[in-house]
Amino acid sequence: MLLRLTWLLLQKDLRVAARSREVFGFMLLFALLCVVVFAFGFLREGEAAAAQVPGVLWVTLLFAGTVGLLRLFAAEEEGGTLHLAQRTLAGPHPLLLSKSLMQLIFSGVTTLLLLPVVLVFFDAALVQPAPVLAALALGLVGQAVLGALVAALLVHVRLREVLLPLVLYPLLAPLLIAGVRVTVLAQGNAPAETVDSWLGLMAGYDLVVLATAPWLHARVVEP
Amino acid sequence: MTPPPPLRPTGFLALLGVATALICAALYCVAFVAEPDAVLGIVQKIFYFHVASAIAMMLCLSSGSLLSLVDLVAPSERVDALARAAIETGLIFAVMVLTSGPLWARKSWGAWWTWEPRLTLTLMLLLLATAVTGIRAMAPDGTGRKIAAALASLAAPVAYLIHVAVQKWGGTHPMVLKGGGIQSPGMQWTFRIALLAIFSFAATLWTLRYRQRRLEQRLLNLQLEISAQTVRRSRDGGLT
Repeated sequence: MLLRLTWLLLQKDLRVAARSREVFGFMLLFALLCVVVFAFGFLREGEAAAAQVPGVLWVTLLFAGTVGLLRLFAAEEEGGTLHLAQRTLAGPHPLLLSKSLMQLIFSGVTTLLLLPVVLVFFDAALVQPAPVLAALALGLVGQAVLGALVAALLVHVRLREVLLPLVLYPLLAPLLIAGVRVTVLAQGNAPAETVDSWLGLMAGYDLVVLATAPWLHARVVEP
Repeated sequence: MTPPPPLRPTGFLALLGVATALICAALYCVAFVAEPDAVLGIVQKIFYFHVASAIAMMLCLSSGSLLSLVDLVAPSERVDALARAAIETGLIFAVMVLTSGPLWARKSWGAWWTWEPRLTLTLMLLLLATAVTGIRAMAPDGTGRKIAAALASLAAPVAYLIHVAVQKWGGTHPMVLKGGGIQSPGMQWTFRIALLAIFSFAATLWTLRYRQRRLEQRLLNLQLEISAQTVRRSRDGGLT
């Protein structure tokens, strides 16, 4: 029941997204713009551009993800159907799960398109691609689930566009720190244990978020 | 409806008295009893209030997070008021730590700020606590409490992970402050008294804010009761 309802909600979100072509295009464009702005901000003559890649990549994904999160519940809110979607036969869980998956799809596709662009723009190569891809996957999962939770909590809050990053970014700090470190280490020939311990931290973070987010969401939205 | 017993300020006033006396004693000890540090000189005296504030901040924020969890599981206005007061008191001590910290760091490390693990964690806690407090103000009536409680209870495990991450991250920096190192009895006694002074000060602020929240809640409940009575009376009387 949970999976079936989640799939139905996700299908609906994907259909709305495909028809309106609103959020995803802007997210991608915004990510590209971030990379350009970071290039203006951080590139110095005589310094290797490749050194900026980890920071630029992860901060861009953080910012672009926020664009998606701010519109994640827009359809329910504008249609006035939020309280219905929260009260499915499987409780409020399908809503959070489908929104997390939706955000994960958006940010995943953005990342796949963005990564080559960043590498080309900053003249960099990934010496070890596997840990970076693993870190990106773990980071995006954490961002999607926690982001969907915070977005769901803040739906009716005034100034939520401002408050969402204010709450989310400190909470995402471990993922950002670890993700950047893994990417830095993967650019060189770092020992595998160091990379693995950072990846382990990210996996632990995701586990904590996955274990607590549905419960917290249910406690807050259930009457 | 029987009116609730009045909230008498006796406990709060007693705490205020104790805190005032202890802070005076601590200031005296810091100025006259504790010897200046052999290496760092007089600036080391920030330590007494700085470290005590940091401990008070951690205690306030962690109990605020725990109480928020309790309020989420078994909602109670009393626990909500306690949790909220704890987080706000923790916020004040976070500001104290982040003000006294750089003053000390400038003298002993030569920089106002370094991305040392403990500094980073304190800054993140300050940002999180501010955001959680802000959400309450921005949320529509009644919902802010649950949202803030959910985020505050999530903040504790995440804060632990932030701690782990910044420790690993800070591991690449050579400058890590080593705690301890106060040996003379004068310094030890000063630290103990400063600790008690800051703790009683924290308890005073906590109680003050808690009382204020409880009075607010009572006022709100009274207003609801009165408007319900008015509706009932106009309905019964209006028919004649």
